[in-house]
Amino acid sequence: MKLVHILGIVFIGIALAFVVSLYGNPTKYVSFPEAAGYAAEHPDKEYHVVARLDKQRELFYNPRQNPNYCSFYAIDSLNNPAKVVYHNAKPQDIERTEKVVLIGKWSGDHFEASSILSKCPSKYNEELSKEQLSR
Amino acid sequence: MQEPSITFNGEHLFIGNLGHALVVLAFCSALFGGVFYWLAVSKNDNSLRKAGRWMFLVHALSVLGVFVTLFVIIQNHYYEYQYAWQHSSNSLPLKYMISCFWEGQEGSFLLWMFWHALIGVILVFRSKTWESPVLAIICLVQVALATMLLGIGDAPFKIGSSPFELTRMMSPDLLQIPVLQTLGKANYLQVLKDGNGLNPLLQNYWMVIHPPTLFLGFATAIVPFAYAMAGIWTGRMRQWLTPALIWGLICSAVLGTGIIMGGFWAYESLSFGGYWAWDPVENASLMPWLLIIASVHLILVARATGRHLITAMLLVSISFFLVLYATFLTRSGILGDASVHSFTDLGMSGQLLLFLFLFIFLSILLSAPAGEPRQWLGVAFVALLMVNLVPAVVELGGHIAPSWLSVGIRILDILAFVGGMLLFVRNLSRQTGSVKEEEQMFSRELWILAGSLAVVLSLVQVFLSTSNPVWNKLFGLNLGTLKEADYNQVQLWLAMPVLLFIGATQFLAYRKTDGRQLGRDMLLSASIALAITVAVNFSFQIISFKYLLFLFLGVYAVVSNVLYLSAQRHKLKLGGASIAHAGFGVLMVGVLVSSVNKKVLSAVPVDPNSKTPALAENITLYKQRTALMQPYEVQFKGVKQDGLNKYFQIQFTRRNAKDSSIADSFSLYPLAQNNPKMGLLAEPDTRHYLWADLFTHVSYESSLEQEEPFSDFKTDTFTLYRSRLSSDGTRKLTLDSIITTREEATGAIRIQPKFSVETLDGVFYAAPFHDYQLNLGLIGSRDTILDAAGLLMRFDKFNPDNNNLPASQVIVTTGIREPRRDFVVLKAILFPWINLVWAGTIIMVLGFAMAVWRRRAEQAIR
Repeated sequence: MKLVHILGIVFIGIALAFVVSLYGNPTKYVSFPEAAGYAAEHPDKEYHVVARLDKQRELFYNPRQNPNYCSFYAIDSLNNPAKVVYHNAKPQDIERTEKVVLIGKWSGDHFEASSILSKCPSKYNEELSKEQLSR
Repeated sequence: MQEPSITFNGEHLFIGNLGHALVVLAFCSALFGGVFYWLAVSKNDNSLRKAGRWMFLVHALSVLGVFVTLFVIIQNHYYEYQYAWQHSSNSLPLKYMISCFWEGQEGSFLLWMFWHALIGVILVFRSKTWESPVLAIICLVQVALATMLLGIGDAPFKIGSSPFELTRMMSPDLLQIPVLQTLGKANYLQVLKDGNGLNPLLQNYWMVIHPPTLFLGFATAIVPFAYAMAGIWTGRMRQWLTPALIWGLICSAVLGTGIIMGGFWAYESLSFGGYWAWDPVENASLMPWLLIIASVHLILVARATGRHLITAMLLVSISFFLVLYATFLTRSGILGDASVHSFTDLGMSGQLLLFLFLFIFLSILLSAPAGEPRQWLGVAFVALLMVNLVPAVVELGGHIAPSWLSVGIRILDILAFVGGMLLFVRNLSRQTGSVKEEEQMFSRELWILAGSLAVVLSLVQVFLSTSNPVWNKLFGLNLGTLKEADYNQVQLWLAMPVLLFIGATQFLAYRKTDGRQLGRDMLLSASIALAITVAVNFSFQIISFKYLLFLFLGVYAVVSNVLYLSAQRHKLKLGGASIAHAGFGVLMVGVLVSSVNKKVLSAVPVDPNSKTPALAENITLYKQRTALMQPYEVQFKGVKQDGLNKYFQIQFTRRNAKDSSIADSFSLYPLAQNNPKMGLLAEPDTRHYLWADLFTHVSYESSLEQEEPFSDFKTDTFTLYRSRLSSDGTRKLTLDSIITTREEATGAIRIQPKFSVETLDGVFYAAPFHDYQLNLGLIGSRDTILDAAGLLMRFDKFNPDNNNLPASQVIVTTGIREPRRDFVVLKAILFPWINLVWAGTIIMVLGFAMAVWRRRAEQAIR
């Protein structure tokens, strides 16, 4: 066997290992109840939940007490509500976002987010909002 | 749509029509140029080549014309055009008017086309015998890009998106707003006086130069591809390598610079605290760069030994496809949930994907031998299958799970794609013929191949993970995005062999090397590297084995390239490769140290009993109070306001351990803007030292808080010079004086009792008042609110109002709440040795530039 072939086999082997490790046990998009269900099986694994902020309920952030505790209520895309706790400063534009992607895991009675992707509506937004027009 | 009868006042329609016309001209001239050049190749006809050349020059001029036209529209604030209205505003300075240009998708496509046109013009005059086939390919790409700006037809069959659309056409609601009922719809421009302005995050010096550099990098990737295709097409299977090498090196340098500029921008002006976050949009620009680096190395091997020619050709082609794929990822909206900064969909994702397929199949067709019509049929069939993927990706709305049948067909599509690539390789191998001799263990070509494959593996990992949203869309999967740590874990192990090969390969000769000499060279640089690693680790303090190994390999890569370079001092100008490699080593060491040893100074210890993650990275600083962030004493001194921008003065003081004298003291001014449209926008401020950066940014500040209402209202009679306590007993209020002033002109009289308020935090002064006019009675009054004392004072009654009251008494209502002390929530991070990241990049780019210089000189001699 030529050296080049050995290299090729090693290459393909590692590439396949990536495929297996990436897709064998991937991070998934789930609903809140699913996240709660998985928490028992895989306590360390994080999941993605696509949700929107429940603007009717309290968003708690009091940096005088603790600058690293922010909690709010969110409703996932299947309309399941849940409390979300984020041990960090309040994400800058969370009140105005239409949609957030919460990454984290279920913990007891709430979803513990380790990071929050929120799309600011005006960023790169090509749509024209009524609010802008009425200025 | 508006009624056709209205003539709108004040619009500058000519310039938009001119722009439209120039886009159409650019499209047509590229198309004809391509056809002429194409025929010039197949008929080998010089007059056709000249016709193609004229067409291309017309094309380049019209692209320049479109560029200028759009700029004039933005610069003159013609808000009747959607693009100007959406992306600029009256108050923007000139340099940011330039950024507005490429904030939108259309402008960035235009920028890309502009660079292609410029490169094309250079190639028209410099590429000699390659002109016709190379320019034919470039023309075709330009045709594809020009359709992106055409903006004709209606969804879902809309082709492109024009930057010259009128605001009133794009947003018909505009003409329906109530004000225009009185003004008249024809005068709508009087309402549209100012634009939406540029996203404040993009109002940064780096954002002026980062996009053009990045797009120049993307644009240069077309040249190696065009040469490779031209080589296959005209049967010059090896001659294409030299020009492709030069342009590949240019692309590596420029694209690399563009990427790191983006990183530097993120580091300097975004608040995520770092220069690289493995965001899909960042990955999209990294992927072509990784592959162009790998292909440059394989081109070198192929040039020197004739081996791995096909691999080189394959990698060059795929790196161009990856540029198109990157465009698709970032522009189609498919990254929606996965990235914080992808563009929204302009309805062009199908178009983008079609172009990607078009060029993939074009390259397969070009490789097909002339005498095999059956193969053409096969390729056409495969292409048709692939086009089936387009509608799958275009339906972007909602998460509709595809049926098993369509998933099956899509898997077939992917297999067809793999089949197409295999066909490409087979066609190439028939035309090139391979080197039969077995490869030697100690040969430069084998080691370069191994190192390049490690780079390709790094690409494979980034590609697979970044494409998760695409797999989700195609196969109805449910894959999330990877986090930074997931990428770092894998990429760390892939960078190690790359660093090893970078260090060792220079000492190898092509074909066969004396193993013993090689051993001596490697041993020497390895032992020096080990000594340096141990020495620098006194400062770096890295403990974990894998990071130490990485550090050693990084240092080894630098040392051995420096040794190699110094061994051939008389040929320094040949040292581009060594310098670029050493720069990459420095970069990797910088990345390692600045991220592994990154220290969040503002982190507060987390309660060990809580199960919450150790994320507590923010600290609350009260105004004028000192907090400790080892090794600094930190004080929030105050706020400097400049329009919407608030600069928070944070003073850092470090003391000598022995006598606690001040060793270092400075202030940082991180910015926070409470933007009416976007909420808190923070821009960090960083103290740069040679050995570290101290990075600070504002996460929150007191004025964002909801105002707490006053309570415990109490109405009291105050007597001059006497004191009273507030209802909760924490504030002592003394009536110091009662002032009566009379304004001569109006005859108004102001009566104002003045109080001093003592609290634990100090003494404050309050002076609510009443204004009277002789015949009208009370005409105005004002309460006093003392935020710092948490006190509201309302002046109720005094003597003339109430005859029972002596002149030395007033009746005042007080309300109380928690005293508000201004505070700021801050994150402070120490990045040790981050300057190595920037220095390494600069050295690397310098190396690339030297290599370009050298290869150009070589080409001139031939």
